[in-house]
Amino acid sequence: MSSRWSIRTGLLLALVLVLGLTSLGYAEPVTLRFVSLAWQEQSVAANLAIVEEWNKLNPDIQVEYVQGSWDSIHDYMVTSFETRDVPDIFHYESAQIIDFSQRGYLTDLSPLIPEEMKADIFDGAWQSVSNEEGQIFGIPFLWESLIVLYNKDILEEAGIELPTSDNPWTWDDLRRVAKELTKDFDGDGEIDQWGAAIPLRAPVNRIMNLTLGYGGGYFQKVDGKHQIRVGLAEKALLQIIMDMIYVDKTAYPGAVGLSGTAVLPAFYEGDYALIPGIGVWARQQIVENAPADFRWGVLPPIKGVSQAQGANPQTLSIPKDSKHAEEAMEFIKFFLTKENMAKLALGDWMFPTRESALALPEFQTDEAGWKVSSETVQHLVMGPWQDSPAYAEWKDRVATPVLQELFSNQITVEEAAQRMEEEGQRILRRYQ
Amino acid sequence: MKRRSWLGQLGLVLPFLIPVVLFSVIPLLRGIYLGFTDYRFGFEMRFNGLENYRYMLTDSYFWSSFRVGAIWTIGTTLGQVVLGLGLAQLLNADLFGQRLARILVLVPWAMPPVIRGLMWNMVFLPDTSGPLNYLLMQAGMISQPINWLNSVAWALPSIILVGIWGGLPQSAIVLLAGLQTIPKELYEAASLDGAGVLGQFRYVTLPSLKPIITSIVSLRFMWNFNAFGLVWTLTQGGPGGRTRLPMLFAYEEGFRYGNAGYAAALGNVMVLVVSLLVVLYLRKELKESEA
Amino acid sequence: MNYRVKNLMAKSVMQICLLFFVVFLAFPLVWMLSTSLKPNPEIYSRIPTLIPKEPTFDHFRAAFGQQDLLSGIYNSFKIGVLSSIVVLIITVPAAYALVRFQTVINKSVMAWILVSQLFPSILIIIPLFVLLRNLALTNSHIGIILVYTVWSVPFVLWMMRSYVKAIPIELEEAAFIDGCNRLQVLSKIVFPLLVPGIVASGLFAFVSAWNEFFFALVLLKTPKLTTLPVYLSRFTGSEGMTRLGPLAASCLVATIPTLVVFTFLQKGLVSGLMSGAVKQ
Repeated sequence: MSSRWSIRTGLLLALVLVLGLTSLGYAEPVTLRFVSLAWQEQSVAANLAIVEEWNKLNPDIQVEYVQGSWDSIHDYMVTSFETRDVPDIFHYESAQIIDFSQRGYLTDLSPLIPEEMKADIFDGAWQSVSNEEGQIFGIPFLWESLIVLYNKDILEEAGIELPTSDNPWTWDDLRRVAKELTKDFDGDGEIDQWGAAIPLRAPVNRIMNLTLGYGGGYFQKVDGKHQIRVGLAEKALLQIIMDMIYVDKTAYPGAVGLSGTAVLPAFYEGDYALIPGIGVWARQQIVENAPADFRWGVLPPIKGVSQAQGANPQTLSIPKDSKHAEEAMEFIKFFLTKENMAKLALGDWMFPTRESALALPEFQTDEAGWKVSSETVQHLVMGPWQDSPAYAEWKDRVATPVLQELFSNQITVEEAAQRMEEEGQRILRRYQ
Repeated sequence: MKRRSWLGQLGLVLPFLIPVVLFSVIPLLRGIYLGFTDYRFGFEMRFNGLENYRYMLTDSYFWSSFRVGAIWTIGTTLGQVVLGLGLAQLLNADLFGQRLARILVLVPWAMPPVIRGLMWNMVFLPDTSGPLNYLLMQAGMISQPINWLNSVAWALPSIILVGIWGGLPQSAIVLLAGLQTIPKELYEAASLDGAGVLGQFRYVTLPSLKPIITSIVSLRFMWNFNAFGLVWTLTQGGPGGRTRLPMLFAYEEGFRYGNAGYAAALGNVMVLVVSLLVVLYLRKELKESEA
Repeated sequence: MNYRVKNLMAKSVMQICLLFFVVFLAFPLVWMLSTSLKPNPEIYSRIPTLIPKEPTFDHFRAAFGQQDLLSGIYNSFKIGVLSSIVVLIITVPAAYALVRFQTVINKSVMAWILVSQLFPSILIIIPLFVLLRNLALTNSHIGIILVYTVWSVPFVLWMMRSYVKAIPIELEEAAFIDGCNRLQVLSKIVFPLLVPGIVASGLFAFVSAWNEFFFALVLLKTPKLTTLPVYLSRFTGSEGMTRLGPLAASCLVATIPTLVVFTFLQKGLVSGLMSGAVKQ
């Protein structure tokens, strides 16, 4: 009898203790874990500075900065979600955010986002992190577009008239100019200066993002189900690239196996005049690595029927298992004020998604092609493949090898289109 | 007596069994079980029997990755063990600069795989800025730079070379330690019997090293079959799946596409196939040593 | 005379082979040194140079500028040393027991070794993590040391078994006849013969802990606890871009401790104890 009593008293005591501790704990400072993917020196510094400032201003909500890396973030986050040991805020990109949200990993941020932020960030950016029900799973904050780089000396010498944002080149214009710029100086039958180089080592994202300019999206939704369609619009871009490489012989065929970074050294040497469809980040590589006397510039994106391009902004999200979603959102608001967002964007050579930040003079200067690059933002839209759970597998297993075979001239555009559709069927079935 | 030895063994084995059961066997069983479910990350998990294996039968991507895996595994294992044996002999012979060499040959091992991948990426750079292309062109052995890691013909041989490079030091060290355990008397005796260098190698070194060679071959075989980090950094399985090893395939299924159940099923099949091969190999060795 | 000439020729051929191996295996270290000393434009230049034209220490400054590099090296070193010691302590006796007494445990241990080496480790991480969390061992060095220990046990056990097998049982029997008890046989006969094998296995355990990336990435969440490979991954960005200069510099700094360990241990690989033991 007495032992039972003592057990009860013990339990009661324990309960009081636990309650007491939790109420005490309420005043304890909260620690938020923030996984950042910044990796350029300036942007890491900007990240750290903002976090430090926050920690000074908010003694109750301390943020712990964790340095993530692009190579491993996916595995890191999947493991975190599955073991429910999550960071409170993490940095990633919209294409993956939609996938995570479909698995139920993320907090819907739509009720937490302030009006001011909602209005200031471009709609194209919001689109890429929202679902059809209007839920929002990440705050887009940095984005990039595909631009055209050119060698100033070569184009000036050839007297080429440069396109402007209002009057851009079409792909046919590009083809014509590339012909003019392709030269065999010593007449030995080998080309010494190519009109263009299109880096196609990992071709799928580049090609699909650019195909939107022809009005083609590869993926379509019919009755709520995704279908893969490689029609006229999709084939148009593939054909013109093939023609430039193998018919006109004005695009450097070696670039088929090169990544965006790998085409640059020969660009500095004047081996090719233009690099169409390269990310804006490449400008930073040039500024840091090119010889000091190298003269270059940025041209607006090439036009198909429009200059539309797929966008995949970098985002900040809050996992569903985070115990401090509201505090985390407070931090995000501070982290992404106009000024802070501008600092982060400059550090990574990308664009801020806030209209007000993009209007700041540092993004509108002619230096390093900022102005022309910034103007591309208006063309960014969300690709229709982004919310298809089958996209990742289709990209690795089907589209990448098929496009690689196509661009090394082993199959025709027709065959490539057919294979991408047919082999895609089996994969689509798996996820529906 | 028999009973006592059983207990004695248990006493020696127990400190090893406890952490192993806890941190290896339990998670492994869980992983094996996962292979019989339809688990996709974030969704409900249901037992689905042999469904994954039925799907696997029609999964041509998986079977072609097995083929790539076979070439890779045999190529790297052979290279690592044969060259490793040669290197161990050299390190054991009384040569000039031996002490320094014993340290320098371990360099690949001392580098984290991430770094190994990045270093070789630089060596293999596709244009003339890559030292390999530059050297070969300077030597007049090739006229055009080769895109080592992204060409259908060269990608697999290139990663096999890197694989051998990465595993060689370890094989060599293990074999060197083995060479060290061979009593000198055996060589002296063989020499008295008139055996030359080759004869000594054949009649003393090889038989003495046999258990160690067997171990290292089977381990290397399993590890190479399971290789992941290095190849992932170098090619991500490209071009067109030409270097997509089975482990890369399972990784893609599990972590990229979130098909955890199917990935675990792939793991089960890989365990089954390769352990069958290894057991066959070991059984043969076992019989030989009994005979 | 003829014999001596032949011997000399064989020696020179072997010397050349050894040189070839050293160049093949150590080249990346040299290239890393060269990269770490080049300014950016030279790293990305079209014509590669082995000896930097305008050497600079900027990358080293950048590498050391962040405290984390040294703490990463320290953490990795500590975890590597401790886990290899634990591995050896639990595995060497077990290996001996498995070889000298054939019982039912042997077969299950062998089966486990096969499965553990072959099952994709990435699929183990999630159940393992949950287990460690229940024991409150995530985000701690003890947890990761345990994981690494269990991780290298199969290899060490497998190798130690074959080293034990390589010891002729007659040696032990002879010692018993001479009146030694089991403990004396183990310490005077078996252990000295196993030293090279123990050193090789210990090296293995150390290096595999030193190099491991994924477990460290997901188990150690606090930056202060991070190991070296996780630290190094921060120099890679999206689209396969890398900050090669600081990466090479950090790597070079990070390789030095391992090379020191190698230097230190290589003596153990060439054990002088053996011949004495065999003669006994």
